[in-house]
Amino acid sequence: MTLKKTFVFFALLMCQFICAQQDTITILENVVVSDNQLKKFSNTQSVLKINDSIIKKNQASLTSLLNYNTTIYFKENGLGMVSSPSFRGTTAQQTAVIWNGININSQLNGQTDFNLISTKNFENISVRAGGGSVIYGSSAIGGSVHLNNELNFKNQFKNELQTSFGSFSTFGLNYKMLLSSQKFSSNFSFSHNSSKNDYPYLNYDLKNQNGEFKNTSFNFNFGFKLNNFNYIKTYNQVFDSNRNLSGTLAADSKSNYQDFTSRNLIEWISFQNQFTSSLKFAFLSERYKYFEDKNSDGFSFGKAESFISRYDLNYQLNSKITLNSIIDFTKSKGFGTDIDENKRTVFSGLLLLKHQLFTKFLYEIGLRKEITTNYQSPVLFSLGTNYAPFTFYKIKANFSRNYRVPTFNDLYWQGLGNSSLKPESSLQVELGNEISFKNITFSITGYQIKLIDLIQWSPNSSGVWTPKNIKNVTTKGVETILNYDKNYKNHHLVLNTIYAYTVSTDEKENVQLIYVPFHKTTFSTSYSYKNFGLFYQFLYNGKVFTSSDNENSLKSYKVSNAGIEYQIGSKNFIKIGFQINNLLNVDYQSVLVRPLPGRNFNLNFNFKF
Amino acid sequence: MKIKQLLFGLFIATFFASCSKDEIISEAPLPAYNSGILILNQGGFNSGNANVSYLSNDFNTLQNNIFSTVNPGVIMGDTGQDIGLNGQYAYIVVNVSNKIQIVNRFTFKLIATITANLNNPRYIAFSNGKMFVTNWGNPGSTTDDYVATFNITDNTFLGNIPVVEGPEHILVNAGKVYVAHKGAYGYGNKITVIDAALSSVITTITVGDVPDSMRIVGTDMFVLCSGNPSYAPTETAGKLSKINLTTNTVSSSINFSITSHPSNLDIYNNDIYYTVDEKIFKTTQLATTLPSTPLFTTTPQGAYGIYSFEVENNKIFIGDAGNYSANGKVYIYSLTGVLETSKTVGIIPAGFYFN
Repeated sequence: MTLKKTFVFFALLMCQFICAQQDTITILENVVVSDNQLKKFSNTQSVLKINDSIIKKNQASLTSLLNYNTTIYFKENGLGMVSSPSFRGTTAQQTAVIWNGININSQLNGQTDFNLISTKNFENISVRAGGGSVIYGSSAIGGSVHLNNELNFKNQFKNELQTSFGSFSTFGLNYKMLLSSQKFSSNFSFSHNSSKNDYPYLNYDLKNQNGEFKNTSFNFNFGFKLNNFNYIKTYNQVFDSNRNLSGTLAADSKSNYQDFTSRNLIEWISFQNQFTSSLKFAFLSERYKYFEDKNSDGFSFGKAESFISRYDLNYQLNSKITLNSIIDFTKSKGFGTDIDENKRTVFSGLLLLKHQLFTKFLYEIGLRKEITTNYQSPVLFSLGTNYAPFTFYKIKANFSRNYRVPTFNDLYWQGLGNSSLKPESSLQVELGNEISFKNITFSITGYQIKLIDLIQWSPNSSGVWTPKNIKNVTTKGVETILNYDKNYKNHHLVLNTIYAYTVSTDEKENVQLIYVPFHKTTFSTSYSYKNFGLFYQFLYNGKVFTSSDNENSLKSYKVSNAGIEYQIGSKNFIKIGFQINNLLNVDYQSVLVRPLPGRNFNLNFNFKF
Repeated sequence: MKIKQLLFGLFIATFFASCSKDEIISEAPLPAYNSGILILNQGGFNSGNANVSYLSNDFNTLQNNIFSTVNPGVIMGDTGQDIGLNGQYAYIVVNVSNKIQIVNRFTFKLIATITANLNNPRYIAFSNGKMFVTNWGNPGSTTDDYVATFNITDNTFLGNIPVVEGPEHILVNAGKVYVAHKGAYGYGNKITVIDAALSSVITTITVGDVPDSMRIVGTDMFVLCSGNPSYAPTETAGKLSKINLTTNTVSSSINFSITSHPSNLDIYNNDIYYTVDEKIFKTTQLATTLPSTPLFTTTPQGAYGIYSFEVENNKIFIGDAGNYSANGKVYIYSLTGVLETSKTVGIIPAGFYFN
């Protein structure tokens, strides 16, 4: 019945076809990114772009950045520990993380640990809300998070060094070098973060035990212009993390977890009249080692590798119609202590169309089909419209089918894996309104997701846990974003407020999913005058249930951070910043019995030369 | 039109925000937790929410979370594994927390906590003025398993008795301690016999795979072995064995079919009870074959599986962990399998202790 309603809803939206508008032709720009579809085929959904200046102000983990700046809710097993998102009330495996256009969610467990992404390695991070499986594949159900490196073809040589020193022996270092000309562009960065992370638990005579972590990453991105019509680009990253897994209020821990990932991508992009073709090869590898007792030699491990070949052809039929076809061939392999070596080959084809039907109206259509022997894959589609009746008002609508494929762990775990799992699939619809005046933009988006065949590990009558397509979930929600940005002489003021209301219902039991808050609000503001800046950010997460019968819960919390910074010099500069995190020393937990730090401090220096 | 609905939705949302109902009403502790059953709720692994429920013998009074009701502000621990009753005290073995919480068994007031010399503690028994606690050590290691001993009078540590891998259930009888080695991450097949006075191993007896539960009648010990489970490298059949305790040898055994993995052996009024999946079986001590039909199954009651089981006070008690995330249920049946009552307790009801 809900499905029917969804269709009726969509039919209603079709009446937008009466009006119209014209698109601007895509021109070759100086800045090149690899995620071609993020800009071209995301006009009917909401995309929040977080730029460099916001990335710098926030703490280095992707968890912290997105927690304070987006509607995504995070469940963090203690500071720096495993962190899983819930985007639009979905599970951690239903958010796709896209690195330079490539889906990097783990082949083993289907999700990305948001504390294993160092934000300072990227020039911009975009959050695309809602279904994106047609373009980005598995997991783009709640939405997708895009980590982008930019290659800039202009004459420049820039160095930037950021260091930060914080409470609990926390240290951060990021060095970035840009060297480019009209002909080539290179971008190198190095990040290191570490912490003793032994913060005291407020109101208890305990410390965060066994919480030490450190991670190091290298990035190297390079682009070369063969001529005006042909570019070769390559993106490379290695990330090495070594964490102890912290204890809780109830128990100490001895365990240690090590992750190592490498990502390599090479792309040849060619422009011929109305055609843009891109040929990509990518190699992704991930490995983890888990020591239940860090003082003993015994460990378990898992490893997965993927090789991706992709051909992307974009055809600009005329000023109004863009066609894009992509053929992708991905081969993955996974093995470890608990899974035997298994391979998966997936061939997928997709077609995208964007049509600026009238000046004020455009629509986009996408279709994707995968062929694989490992699971039955549904035809995925996406239909969307963007109608701007007035210069200050835009209405966007999108209807799509998305999916998440079973992981290697789900399919092949020794003795327990279930090779007959179906992918999770979702039908979703959203309607967004955007109002923008001079300094203010306001958007309100309502959505509904009907997810079928949710994969979950659950016990049978003899207590044996196996993964099964266990239930259907309906999620409904509203997201609002208000942004105010004002420059006046040397003053610059920015205000951002986000509110998300989410009801994510297990259809059989009629209960809210665990660790999905009904309410989340963030507020942030920054003010700068000449070389001086101030900022404040606030986060409210509503109560979450911790048991599936909604009988046990974790209370809501409000935390805020504030900072001050001063810059000496303009083109080459030194910036000194001081931050207070958890300003009001609030005792809070995002996961049961795992308190997060009380008030703590951070001093940072940023050199640009 | 749709916008109006959305705005209305937003209005409703703020409305909900302002009137969300709050937290649990805290109950007062009962005067005494006697003449009733203590139910250990294991709690979620790494969730630190283990607790104990009390159900009076007439089933009219139920109180959940009695440990935190009586001891506010104290976290009982992570993954409650076992409760041992001895003298005035209840000893709560908390596995992940590596603790034993000692409470007054009738008031549930916390008396002391043992935190040292425990590494993955499992089960507890008392003999010769000592506590005997089985410990897995690092479950990935097969050589660091032990039985820890403590003095009952002052809770001081007396020493460790090294044993083979995976010591689980523990039972005392006539100055001897019997430990069933179910296996930690591996699969065990031994019973260790310990001299309680000397705290030393007398012998080990090889039984079937995964010895789950033991009961002693006279000079015979019945051991129910579950067999290696379906997800083990090699699945093996369950086995019900009888051990002669004077010679410490297996005197007879009955095999289950290979895919049948029994557990929860109990002997009551001379009858043997055990469970397979959601089925409860009853047989006699003299039987040479296994009953083909169960006494009853829990399926009609909606009991998902049998996590804990006990036959006592002329009743059959079953703990149902459900999906292991939601609060579990306790079902109480007559000895013929007629459901008499059911109660919602805490997360993962793991054991019944008659107080």
